[in-house]
Amino acid sequence: MLRIENLSIRFGQTTLFTDMNLHVKRGEVVCLTGSSGCGKTTLLKAVMGFATPCQGSISVDGFQLTPHTATFIRHRVAWMPQGLSLPCEWVREMVGLPFDLRVNRGAGFSEETLLQHFDALGLDKGLLDKRLHEISGGQRQRILLAITAMQEKPLILLDEPTSALDPASTQKVLQFIQRLPFSNGGRAILTVSHDTAFMEGCDRRVVMG
Amino acid sequence: MGTTIDISYWGLGIGMLLLLVPICFFHRFKTGLVKATVVGAVRMVVQLFLIGIYLKYLFLWDNPWINFLWVFIMVYVATETALSRTRLKRSILMLPLIVGFLASAILVGLYFLGVVLQLDNIFGAQYMIPIFGILMGNMLSSNVIALNTFYTNLMRDRQLYYYLLGNGASRFEAIAPFVREAIIKAFSPAIANMAVMGLVALPGTMIGQILGGSSPNVAIKYQMMIIVITVAASILSLMITLWLGTRKTFDAYGCIRQVFKE
Repeated sequence: MLRIENLSIRFGQTTLFTDMNLHVKRGEVVCLTGSSGCGKTTLLKAVMGFATPCQGSISVDGFQLTPHTATFIRHRVAWMPQGLSLPCEWVREMVGLPFDLRVNRGAGFSEETLLQHFDALGLDKGLLDKRLHEISGGQRQRILLAITAMQEKPLILLDEPTSALDPASTQKVLQFIQRLPFSNGGRAILTVSHDTAFMEGCDRRVVMG
Repeated sequence: MGTTIDISYWGLGIGMLLLLVPICFFHRFKTGLVKATVVGAVRMVVQLFLIGIYLKYLFLWDNPWINFLWVFIMVYVATETALSRTRLKRSILMLPLIVGFLASAILVGLYFLGVVLQLDNIFGAQYMIPIFGILMGNMLSSNVIALNTFYTNLMRDRQLYYYLLGNGASRFEAIAPFVREAIIKAFSPAIANMAVMGLVALPGTMIGQILGGSSPNVAIKYQMMIIVITVAASILSLMITLWLGTRKTFDAYGCIRQVFKE
């Protein structure tokens, strides 16, 4: 599903990583880990074309990332960024954002499915009608995970999905993520984490840096 | 209707003394606006006298080429003003602004002069210069507000832009929330003003025409059309500017470039 070959990314004089190779198959959860600043988040961004490599290639579903294929590749990606702060007032408004996009209209937003995900992630159904500033960082993180999972994309990129969670919630998130590869005809999950308990639950761990 | 009573230079001077009222309050409350007000007033007097002389000859010559040259000058000055007030990079927005202003003024202005007024000579100075002038003034103010809002919000809430793009949005879909905000901020005052027109305030064009000797019946019709053409030209120029400007705002992958001057 995702193939990264000999990838190097440099910002100015700083080299984040060189000759990175990674292959993530459908049905697999791969966790990227490593010290802060080693380029884990940048690697996720590079998959969508938001960070330009100085060498190497990225392919999704057999299509190599270029300016011409970037949109096509993003159509296959559901991305949950780290510490996302959206200018929305209501949780419901934030939830609806990806489903207003043409590419996701086929996925058909279902409140019933969303609430099932809420339940699986240990979230109260009443959160949906709250204001964004009324919910905690951990709740926001799990809501974003639920809407990322609902997008029915074959490649899911998760950036620190448990960074604001307690151990019990982390386990729920892990169980939720472990089920994702088997939904929608098989999906590949690439996630970034520093959380040891979370990493141990993934199929594979890749240490960067 | 009678003719307009001229204002003597003595009367003009006496009238200008009224500026002392705001200056006193600006000074009393230490607003820092006194110098700007005095400079602004002096610039206004000098510029309007110079424009008065220029317009006198413009109407005297009544040459379509010279009229169009004047329109180009207005477009250039409006573009420079928009660039300086928004602090946006010249390389990104200069050409989009020029094309947006010029295309909208020509399309809407000539539609009004040719189709609505059905003038024999649509390039005549008497109608063309004031109509294009009022269009330029309104396009400039709405573009400055809208472009400032669009680019400031885009830089501040870039997370939203990238989140939408990364989840499969087209570039149009990813910038749509920012365009929406820009339109709301730039056009809400005009729409609110339209709703109370004639009740809360008598608009400038109408007053000008009545003072110039037109009947109120003619004045209101002109006022209605001025409101409609200014809103139409403003939104059209904004859309053209954004359409062309966003091509240079993002790189080949859709990432946001540095748009503000360093």
